[in-house]
Amino acid sequence: MTEQNNEAAPVRNAEFKAALLLVLMVALVLGSAVYLLYARGAFESTQTLILQADDSEGVVVGMDVTFAGFPIGRVRRIELSTEGKAHVVVDVPRKDAHWLRSSSIFTLERGLVGGAKLRAFSGIPTDPPLEDGATRALLVGDPGAEIPRLLAAARDLLQNLNDLTAENSALAASLANVAGVTGKLNGPHGAMGLIAGDEKGAQQLAERANKLLITVNTLATKADKLIGHADESVFGPSGVAADAQATIQQLNALLADARNSLKKMDAVLVEAQAVASNTKEATADLGALRGEVESSLRRVEQLVNEINRKWPFKRDTEIKLP
Amino acid sequence: MNTQASIPGVLERLQQGVAAWLNSWWRLLHFAVLMFSLALTPSSYGRENRPVLARHLVADTAPNLAWYGVLSALVSLVLIRIVVVTSQSYGLSRFALEMVVRVLVLELIPLTAAAFVALRTTLPAGLELAQRRHAAGTASGDELHREFFPRVAAGIFAVWMLAAVSCVLTLILAYLSLYGFTPWALTGYTRVVGQVFNPAVTLILVLKIVFFSFAVGLIPMATSNRISHGLADMVRVFGVMLLIEIASLMGNYY
Repeated sequence: MTEQNNEAAPVRNAEFKAALLLVLMVALVLGSAVYLLYARGAFESTQTLILQADDSEGVVVGMDVTFAGFPIGRVRRIELSTEGKAHVVVDVPRKDAHWLRSSSIFTLERGLVGGAKLRAFSGIPTDPPLEDGATRALLVGDPGAEIPRLLAAARDLLQNLNDLTAENSALAASLANVAGVTGKLNGPHGAMGLIAGDEKGAQQLAERANKLLITVNTLATKADKLIGHADESVFGPSGVAADAQATIQQLNALLADARNSLKKMDAVLVEAQAVASNTKEATADLGALRGEVESSLRRVEQLVNEINRKWPFKRDTEIKLP
Repeated sequence: MNTQASIPGVLERLQQGVAAWLNSWWRLLHFAVLMFSLALTPSSYGRENRPVLARHLVADTAPNLAWYGVLSALVSLVLIRIVVVTSQSYGLSRFALEMVVRVLVLELIPLTAAAFVALRTTLPAGLELAQRRHAAGTASGDELHREFFPRVAAGIFAVWMLAAVSCVLTLILAYLSLYGFTPWALTGYTRVVGQVFNPAVTLILVLKIVFFSFAVGLIPMATSNRISHGLADMVRVFGVMLLIEIASLMGNYY
């Protein structure tokens, strides 16, 4: 037995090294356990938020609730309420809870690739903070659900296009008519043939149009002559224009006379103004005269009063009673 | 006639084979129970047994730890790089970290650690012990104490140690490969790691490593008290490891 033990590889300080390995092992395991507990939020003080949705498909326990791209909460539990709605119970760490306000909105977005995402939006940061245990509705946005509707709409559109481009469709008939019209336009009678309908009618129409043009030509010649006559009678040597010119000359002379009369009137007015100013001065002198007369009268009154006071036979106005 | 005569022969051989197979598993179970009872006995760690145990522990773990640490770090770096570059080219880089953690830490590292310990330590040790005990019959109690138990304990411990060190190393390498030498991504990284390691996944990982270590430590030693050429032990070890891996995959993803 001893020989067998001695055959094992000799290790110096084996017990110390073994103890070191054991300590390292325990440290690694304990460290990993503590790190994982921390990573799963075991040491965080949290508050609860309940999100209500009609359908919680895509939500899994442990997924994040993000705000502006940052995870601020973690789904703890998903349960079915008595009303048949899904209750997503979210743990929000208290240090991050201030991002959630009473007016915050929560959405569940299911992308085409990857899992669903729970997002929070706080529009008004001054609103009161979200209370512990609050229940909020979860708005669900699902691009995947849009696909069947989109496909149905695309199918309708394609059906309409098919109907439009079908052989007996209205569009095809219109295009055939257009082709007929352009064919007629390109034909020997051109647009005239298009308007007249058949060939005979087109010929008649062309003849009538020719006649009409001749008549119009004659009419234009007559109109030309008429205009020549009118020109002569208006602008000729004995025309209306010459008379009008003479009248205007007379009117001009009349206006010159009127201007002279007005000038005379102006002189009269200047004189009248001078008379008026003289009168004003005279009125000012009258004011001074009046002042002088008033002072003279006041003096006379004073004199009379003095004489009355000094007069020996002044009438006694008092009645003395015995 | 010939066919009729051969059918009982085949059945007899089949019966013998099944009996031998069941017998070997029974012996393995018996050996495992003996080892567990020794592991729970304080005297196994007593003053007289401690030097042998410590020597085996260090001799089985330290060289493996160094080699396996280097190899697993290199392979992890290559795999992480492949996953990151591929996910970036498809615009799915936010899923890269989760995939790295799931593929490497949860699946590959424990499996390769156990295989490494089995190939480099426990299978050769079991073979060597079997050859040495060529003529001996059933192992005595003292032999179990002094020969078998230290080797089994060292094998089990080596798997734990290698798996723990490599998992932590790979997590660190994944962080450095994805984000570089910056501490600012640690919060997001921690969150993703926390999401991956939910209680069920963590429990399955721990159980997987523990059962791998039992398979790697016990099976080669259990058969070493009889004539063995080693190959059968290796097949059995890897068969059991495969079963444990399948069970863990089913537990994780079904």
